[in-house]
Amino acid sequence: MNSENPVPIIPKGRPISWEDWLNGRRARRETGNRVAPEIIRRSSSSSDRRLRRLFNGERGLLFKKTKEL
Amino acid sequence: MKSEQIQQALADITAETDPTLKHLKLASLVSAVFRERGIELVVVGGSAIEFYTEGAYVSGDLDMCLISPARLDVRSRQERMGCLGATGGPRNWQVAGQYVDILGEVETLAQTPFDELQAPYGPVRLVSPEDLLVERILISVYPHPHEPAALCARKLIAVALSGQVELDWQEARRLATRPEYDILPALEKLVGEVAHELGKPSPYHT
Repeated sequence: MNSENPVPIIPKGRPISWEDWLNGRRARRETGNRVAPEIIRRSSSSSDRRLRRLFNGERGLLFKKTKEL
Repeated sequence: MKSEQIQQALADITAETDPTLKHLKLASLVSAVFRERGIELVVVGGSAIEFYTEGAYVSGDLDMCLISPARLDVRSRQERMGCLGATGGPRNWQVAGQYVDILGEVETLAQTPFDELQAPYGPVRLVSPEDLLVERILISVYPHPHEPAALCARKLIAVALSGQVELDWQEARRLATRPEYDILPALEKLVGEVAHELGKPSPYHT
């Protein structure tokens, strides 16, 4: 992290800490939302049956809202 | 890890309601128990994209591949996943309220290293964003257009152009020209589009 870019970067060649990764979540979501819909989970896949059985008809847990990240 | 530590971790992961955190914590725990036997795993596919982008993409399964050794016998896989109380196998298990797939040797052509995230139960390796990007773009255009893959690629490009994920654009270009992908025009076009939408220069415009 540096003063010009307060959002922690996921770097190459060295680990990112848990705290930095958490701190960058909201910014990464917001950036992606500028170029694609907020939720892009596929509506189906070859794993559909097992997923919907485990997640009460859904294909996974519900996503956190961006403001909750 | 001691049995008590594993049980505490499993309780934490089972109670986790954020799908991305749940996947990441589970990837951390699975990596740790395999690492105890000298086996290194890497997160691939949709879960890796999710950790890079927060793209609200991941479903209820976590895909991991072997880094080393390149092959692992069925009994060893069952033994390690059994430490976590996982059910099923030999390539797919249910554990802590989600599915984990341990696939074969990781397919990577990138010369860039795996990224690493220091997660609660130990380091998690992520397949490189260059590999993920060209893979998603290939899936988005070949053999037929596939929009979810294109949307994943757009989000990955966006976080990279915004300086939130370090991505080697020249390495991505090199991969895109390889016969295994052969998608350079699609890569340059999509990066150009996303760069334009973000008001940033494309790394591929000279």
